Amino acid sequence: CQKHLDINQDPNNPSLEQGTPFIVFPAAVLGTAGAAGDLGILGGLWAEHFTQSAIANQYIYIDAYNVKTADLNGPYTLLFANGLKNYQYVIDKARAASDWTFYLLGWTMKAYTAGELVDLYDKIPYTEALAGTSNLQPKFDDGYAIYQDLIKGLDSALGKDFSARTSTIFTPSNANTDLLFNGNLDKWIAFANTMKLKLYLRMVNAHADVAQAGITDLLSSGATFLTNNAGVTTFTDAPGLDNPMYEQNIRQLNTGDNLRASTTFLSWLIANSDPRIVSYFGSTGATSLDQGDRNGNTAATVFVQSATDPVLFLSKAESYFLQAEADVRYGDGSHAQSLYNQGVLQAFTDVGQDGTSFVAPGGAYEFPTGGSTEDKIEAIIVQKWASFAYGTHQLEAFFDKNRTGYPKTSPVYSNAINYVPGQIVVSASTTLAAGLLPKRLVYPYVETSRNANAPALVPISTPVWWGK
Amino acid sequence: QTGTVTGKVQDKTGKPVEGASVQVKGTSKGTTTTESGTFFINAKVGDVLLITGVNYHAQQVRISNLSSSIDVSLDSVANVMQEVVVTALGQSRSKAKLGYTATTVTSDVLNRDAPVNLLDGVQGRIAGANISNVGGPGTSTKVVLRGYSVIGGGSSNQPLYVIDGVPLSDASPSAQTNGTSNTDFGNGMTNINPNDIESITVLKGTAAASLYGSTAKNGAIMITTKRGKAGKLRVDYSGGYNLSKVGKLPEMQNEFGQGWGGQFILSENGSWGPRLDGKMRPWGATVDNSQLIKPFSFVKNNIRDFYNTGTELTNSIALSGGTDINRFYFSYGNVFSDGVLPTKADYLERHTFALRTNSNYGKFSINTSFNYINRKQNAPFTGQGGSDGQSTFEALLQIPVDIPIKDFSAYNNKFFNVDNYFTPYAENPYYPLNENGNVQKLDRFFGSLDMNYKFTDYLSLQYRLGGDFTNARTLGFKQPNKPSPDSWNDGNNVESATRKEDFGSVSQASDYYGIINMDLILKYNQDLNKDLNLEVIGGANYYQSNQRNEFAQVTNLVIPGFFNLSNSKLPPVVSDFNSLRRRVGLYAQATLGYKNQLFLSGNVRNDWSSTLPINKNSIFYPGGNLAWVASQTFDMTHSPVSFLKFRVGYGKTGSDAEPYQVYPVLTAGTPTAPLVGLPFGSITSPFNGVSAFRIANTIGNPALKPVITKELEAGLEARLFKNRIGIDATYYNKRTDGQILVVPIAPGSGYTGLVQNLGLITNKGVELALDVKPVVSKNFNWSMTYTYTKNWNKVNNLNGGPSNVILNTAYDAEIRAVPGQPVAEMYALVPATTPDGKIIVDSKGLPTAAQQKGDFGSTQYNYMMGLVNTFSYKNWTLNASLDFRFGGVMYSGTSDLLLFVGNGRLTTFNDRNAFVVPNSVQVTGTDASGKDVYATNSTAITSDNFYSYFYPTTNPGSSYYQRIISKSFLKLRDVTLSYKLPQHWASKIASSGLSVGAYARNLLLWTPKSNLYLDPEAGNLGNDLTSELGEFRAAPVSIQVGLLLRASF
Repeated sequence: CQKHLDINQDPNNPSLEQGTPFIVFPAAVLGTAGAAGDLGILGGLWAEHFTQSAIANQYIYIDAYNVKTADLNGPYTLLFANGLKNYQYVIDKARAASDWTFYLLGWTMKAYTAGELVDLYDKIPYTEALAGTSNLQPKFDDGYAIYQDLIKGLDSALGKDFSARTSTIFTPSNANTDLLFNGNLDKWIAFANTMKLKLYLRMVNAHADVAQAGITDLLSSGATFLTNNAGVTTFTDAPGLDNPMYEQNIRQLNTGDNLRASTTFLSWLIANSDPRIVSYFGSTGATSLDQGDRNGNTAATVFVQSATDPVLFLSKAESYFLQAEADVRYGDGSHAQSLYNQGVLQAFTDVGQDGTSFVAPGGAYEFPTGGSTEDKIEAIIVQKWASFAYGTHQLEAFFDKNRTGYPKTSPVYSNAINYVPGQIVVSASTTLAAGLLPKRLVYPYVETSRNANAPALVPISTPVWWGK
Repeated sequence: QTGTVTGKVQDKTGKPVEGASVQVKGTSKGTTTTESGTFFINAKVGDVLLITGVNYHAQQVRISNLSSSIDVSLDSVANVMQEVVVTALGQSRSKAKLGYTATTVTSDVLNRDAPVNLLDGVQGRIAGANISNVGGPGTSTKVVLRGYSVIGGGSSNQPLYVIDGVPLSDASPSAQTNGTSNTDFGNGMTNINPNDIESITVLKGTAAASLYGSTAKNGAIMITTKRGKAGKLRVDYSGGYNLSKVGKLPEMQNEFGQGWGGQFILSENGSWGPRLDGKMRPWGATVDNSQLIKPFSFVKNNIRDFYNTGTELTNSIALSGGTDINRFYFSYGNVFSDGVLPTKADYLERHTFALRTNSNYGKFSINTSFNYINRKQNAPFTGQGGSDGQSTFEALLQIPVDIPIKDFSAYNNKFFNVDNYFTPYAENPYYPLNENGNVQKLDRFFGSLDMNYKFTDYLSLQYRLGGDFTNARTLGFKQPNKPSPDSWNDGNNVESATRKEDFGSVSQASDYYGIINMDLILKYNQDLNKDLNLEVIGGANYYQSNQRNEFAQVTNLVIPGFFNLSNSKLPPVVSDFNSLRRRVGLYAQATLGYKNQLFLSGNVRNDWSSTLPINKNSIFYPGGNLAWVASQTFDMTHSPVSFLKFRVGYGKTGSDAEPYQVYPVLTAGTPTAPLVGLPFGSITSPFNGVSAFRIANTIGNPALKPVITKELEAGLEARLFKNRIGIDATYYNKRTDGQILVVPIAPGSGYTGLVQNLGLITNKGVELALDVKPVVSKNFNWSMTYTYTKNWNKVNNLNGGPSNVILNTAYDAEIRAVPGQPVAEMYALVPATTPDGKIIVDSKGLPTAAQQKGDFGSTQYNYMMGLVNTFSYKNWTLNASLDFRFGGVMYSGTSDLLLFVGNGRLTTFNDRNAFVVPNSVQVTGTDASGKDVYATNSTAITSDNFYSYFYPTTNPGSSYYQRIISKSFLKLRDVTLSYKLPQHWASKIASSGLSVGAYARNLLLWTPKSNLYLDPEAGNLGNDLTSELGEFRAAPVSIQVGLLLRASF
């Protein structure tokens, strides 16, 4: 009789035991990519690539720096429940089976995803997280400790023997489950190394010595760095299969013109006669709206998006810029210009333009070889900022601004005569005290309301642990 | 000497008694009386005829000779001791023995107005039952007995339907209730042919339904079908035909015409324009250098004229008869119902067949029932519509009050077509009406096999096998359309606005529901001594229910008019759902009767359910009740009391979980993020050739427990003044504990929800039924039935869970389960106020919203009353039933749209002149401690911004007061007038009974002044708890007037 009643295994969903890294890993990657919809909009508004249209209200709370605990709970949830939980599953399964391939893939994406959360929130549940019913109220850990653990995890994964019999060897028939590199392990190793580089560079303010030691080690070890875009690039123009920022901002809303050119970014492109104005805003005649101005240009040009835009986790241009910065800071400085040039050229190439003349001697973006370290870093970060408008990757520019201070904050608003094109301004609709810019997100309501161990809310203008 | 004996049965007033049973005592030979009270039976001199009729004292007559007619006059039952009702498991029991309330409604009441739905005729007739139909051919009926008690997702508050002892599926195949493209194809119960039904008994309480254990937590509706009787072939025909008109419609303002912000604008979809002046003006698009002209004046009955006269034809024919050994009943019924929408967008065609047999072979008897239903329904899309296309109702509400809607019927006319319809903000309502729709074809078979073996007079065994299998195939289609380049609606209008493309869609759904149910019951009934009687039943039950739903949809149709899943460049969205549940139960019930006056009954049941954790899947349900017929104990013959009974009952029922909530699973794709409003960040699987499954975000519960309902009820029944007054009063207290909810948990745990048992909901109430016969005479009779129901519903706690559960939402209105309040309390935005209660307005003078939503009151009726009056004069009978429900609020999506576009009557507030929100302040800054500083507001809402006051986006503070309306109503549910033709006329066409009648349904409706919009019963949000939110641009309810013919041969 009991046997007759033992029919409660869900036929509509596979059981947990039926899971393998092959089917769970892509779902986790899509979880991380899915969050890029909300976060790309947030990042682009705060990095001032674009601004909320003056004739609509959709994202005005972001432009007003009025992001409350109940806003943007979606990406937090996606990154934890769809991203991290499933990466952990892949890591655990792979470790148990000594499948070092998926172990590396799992750790690399976990480092990216957890790192992104730390960068947004400073502290997040980590050591006690992802435990389901065994810990419904995980404590929050310090961001720096999490960074150290992520680096440890990347090191442990990179140190494995990928040729072990137990490791997955991708074949043409299953390689597409690797949405990033189609099963190319060398690219994953490069991605993991570049992730390490990025994590170390985040520490330059808070733990300069650790950053320096780590980066010096990394550079001297002969580690390879990314020479590809790392991200999901295979979106198609269909609901649920397209770029999540496009799906959210264009497909699902009844109006697709909320995001307009910000004077901050557009004035810089114009000042430099940068042809990427066409890629980002459709034509050289694009007009802009000052950041957060509710009474400004109602006809400002709409930010160009397509359903098949990629979601990049770490771009090829970014890889070069990271290496350039590392060389300026901790190397002998001899590779910085070439790495910088490669970064700028790649950023142009990504959007179908040619930047050769810009980095050539006398070009608008020529590397300041004779300048100070800060001059060089500013040049690198400003170019990086411009590159992040591509690939649903705007959030990274916001992080760089908080870490390095570039692009510089303008002392005047962007409609002033003496405004320097490309400088970050305080949004006209700010709700913060004078002169303040956002530096983080407040802890999300979905966590704080259900987790007694969540810390007290920290104001949005307080820098995270690595901030400047 | 054997021969045919004829006779006539009358009551004491000389009225013929129809359907009385005439039996030769000691044999199974029997017949029933015709409508004129006559009977024919084979008997011999010396036989004793036993004549019994429902509600009459049985009488015996010895036959002394065969030639003279036997005229019998029956005494109506004054003490109800012989009334028999159907109780749990389909067991017939003497009503007097029951320690709980059970209300029975017979066929003639159910069918008096030729209804299509079984329960339409009992609305307002049963105390404690909240029964509503949303209107429109084939739509759902909502039945809630003694209040809502279940708030968990997936579980239903609908009662268990049982037909001849076999549970029936009440599934709603392919119902859409999400507020966008709502469609309603009715629930399972609405498929039954009411003419096939002998009676319905409603077991409202847990004490009554306890023997059903895991299935009857919401009470049970016991349906008994008609069966054949021995004797000559009997043919019964019943037919009805009615015309329907649309009922209550929104009341429009009649002062201002097309435009926005006080300006006349040719392409606007609202009446925010200038004052109507009756002058001729051009309107609509300029096409081929021409433009239409019409007076700028109010169009009366504008929406009403959009609707047609609906028609409904019902026929039912039954053949029955047989011998003492084998009896049969065969029926065929059909319904052709075309609703009030023009075209056949709302249409029902139903064919029902039934074949039932009853046979006895000595100690063995076998009864069978086979029923087949074939049904076709066209249901319109209601609700808001989506990017694939609009709904007719959405389009209908946003036509300015000066534009004649009916003119648009030629929707391909060059002025009214997709390119040149007057506004780019809406569509011609005739377009979705004609081009979009839903068609469902349903086949259903249900039946039973019921075998009895009588070992002795006091011991018998029953085996019953039942099955119910439904297959439904549903096609939904929306035509793609897009204004042609440079047309009026492609931006070439005065506002340069472009109408968004309708992408079109096709969906195909296939739904299967199957139930198999078996009972094996041993019955014992014996007088232990002269005072004590013992009745015991014990049995076992096996129940299996199976469900399979397949759905596929494509959007962005490429070829207009080609509705096939192949017609898209996008991959289809598909879903595939299977579920299987099983239950095994053992049960027993014993009733001890003492001197026919005191009855103590106890019952136990144990269920084992497949949906609970395998090692904890056993649930025990006890129950008991006591009935004391005081009028048997004391001699009351000299008092006005002819019958008096007290009763008290207790019972426990429950419900196991929905299937598959125990074990962890993987799910495909990333979810539609449940924590944000839109499906942001959801990516589907397969993705670009990759199959992606993640660990589900809801954690199953390996310690899941059933939801348990315990209920105590007490009541009395009394009959006074020789049965002229009957009272049935009940108090109940029902506690439903351990609600199964998915509780949100912190994402840091890696998951978002945990299935948990929590939450206690109580329903306490009183039910009162009175029947009074003010006039009883030979020719004229007046009887009256009054019912009163009051239910106090409360969410007692959600212990350890969330602070509240949101049950359904429409924009910023929502119904919640909040501890300390009735379930489904309405919450919506309220104005932000200063500590001393002044409304804070923004820079335009419009109220701003408070951080927290405010309480708008319960959605539940405060009380309900029903009053039925029946007058009969000779062969004429007039019947009228009133249904009154008081209290409760609902959200109206109809009002929302009408106010937004300025058609609603409220929008003429202050004659649309500028006004300052009374008692309002503006924030002028902050003080040193950071607190806001206020100054009295003098900013008026200007007349050109007047519309902003009626739209939630611009007036979040107070616009919900305009949209949440009272649910109260008083309805004249039905009026029927019937005339029974004299037998000598009937006999001319060889009929044994012939009657004709006229009827009207929903004839009159009264609502409070605040309800300017619709019949509050109209809805499109399903037929369970979620529907209590209200309506979202639902179809109106109609009024029907028709004729009825009944004939027996």
